[in-house]
Amino acid sequence: MIQFQNVVKTYPNGVQALKGVSLEVEQGDFVAIIGLSGAGKSTLLRSINQMHTITEGKLLVNGVDVSSLKGKELRRFRRDIGMVFQSFNLVKRTSVIKNVLAARVADMPLWMSLMGLYTKKNKIIALEALDQVGILEKAYTRADQLSGGQQQRVALARCLAQQPKIILADEPVASLDPVTSNQVMNDFVKINKELNITVIANMHHVDIALKFAKRVIGIKEGKIIFDGPSTKVNNQILKEIYGRELSDDELMEH
Amino acid sequence: MERIKRLFLPKPITLSNGKVIQPKMSPAIYVVPILTFMTLYSIQLTGFKLATLFRRGYQFFVILDGMIPPNFAYFEKVWEPLLATIMMSILGTVIGSLLALPAAYISSENMMKSKFVKFITKAFLSVVRTFPILVLALLFRIIFGIGAFAGTMAIGIFTFTIMTKMFYELIDTADMGPFEALMSSGASRIQAFWVAIMPQLWGQYFSLVLYNFEMNIRNAAILGYVGAGGIGLILNERLGWRVYPDVGLILLVMMITVYMIESLSRTIRKKLL
Repeated sequence: MIQFQNVVKTYPNGVQALKGVSLEVEQGDFVAIIGLSGAGKSTLLRSINQMHTITEGKLLVNGVDVSSLKGKELRRFRRDIGMVFQSFNLVKRTSVIKNVLAARVADMPLWMSLMGLYTKKNKIIALEALDQVGILEKAYTRADQLSGGQQQRVALARCLAQQPKIILADEPVASLDPVTSNQVMNDFVKINKELNITVIANMHHVDIALKFAKRVIGIKEGKIIFDGPSTKVNNQILKEIYGRELSDDELMEH
Repeated sequence: MERIKRLFLPKPITLSNGKVIQPKMSPAIYVVPILTFMTLYSIQLTGFKLATLFRRGYQFFVILDGMIPPNFAYFEKVWEPLLATIMMSILGTVIGSLLALPAAYISSENMMKSKFVKFITKAFLSVVRTFPILVLALLFRIIFGIGAFAGTMAIGIFTFTIMTKMFYELIDTADMGPFEALMSSGASRIQAFWVAIMPQLWGQYFSLVLYNFEMNIRNAAILGYVGAGGIGLILNERLGWRVYPDVGLILLVMMITVYMIESLSRTIRKKLL
């Protein structure tokens, strides 16, 4: 379970990205976070795995006070939390399998990771992760030879190879076309259901968020202004989150 | 002062509609006198005499004539120092390039967080970089004695300083996305660097290594002059004795070697990038 208790994040330049956020996410939940760019979505997501440190309040993940973690403990803690990014963040010049194996490095002794020695067990974990997202046959292709959708699947496989309990997805389909977006979101739903992994995703497209997530959190200027099941989201709520009505072409599907 | 300035100013241009515009003073007014003075002073200081150039210049062609045809029988004595020169370059390049990896890591803006460490390493490297390779070779000849070992060390340290600078600039421009992904998976900074940054840069790294190797072959040829081993040693000796056919062969062999290594290296580098 993830618990935010009055979390505040102020950046060194004085910008306050989170202004007292409180929320709870149960294991196995599928949460979409929506809001304008700059509303604090990315900061909220990155504070969970301490890629950003919070300045005030408390953030507990399975009872562990996240901001107290440092060095080795923090790295150990991050092992349980996978992350997927808008721009995939793959090493484009190497093979798909090497990209996925990278997720195993944190568990390996330094000398083995420097030598690039992956055990058979790790290779099987990586290949099975690729199989789960349906691109096993691309294992030995270079990452930059794949389409955007396939690259995001590789990134998802890398995340799975980490064997996480929570997946944080930062705009996972924002750089993909609508059809591919749906396919990738279906992968997330499948993983969420079959492996009971918590998924928290920042979503750019409202309709995709409403279609796939069980729960929606709307934030505006660093504050949560809606938190509830996706079925309860109506035009009035969207107007509050975005500050105006959304036009039809801002919703990709109807 | 204003009056003197006005003396050198170009005449104002008047347009047909009466508007007047003042062109700027050309910098040539002070650049030309300064350059002329410096050139004249240099001629005096270096004892440069056109007369000598005409009187003795033809000697160059005498030597060149002496080198043709080269004494091919002398190759028996050349191949060993030639091999030593190549081996010095290879070993020196390898040592320098390997040391450059960790040094570039701790000098790069995006990998190293400690400003203090960055400052110290960069300052140290700039100091060492000011020594020309011949000075390094002279120093190491005193420390390690005459021979190829001193030369190898000189090449190694020289390559180290250049490679480090070239390579940390590459690290600075690498895509940080994969690094962020690795950090979020719980990897250490060194692991994330090795798995997420280095695979982007291996091609460029080996290209730099080869480029330095090309340079070092040429450097190694001259190191013999200060007693740091290799082909320069016999070149110095043969020139001293004025055995021009032998000198001719040495130069020919050097030319062929450098040309072959450069073409080979260029072909490989094209494939790498």
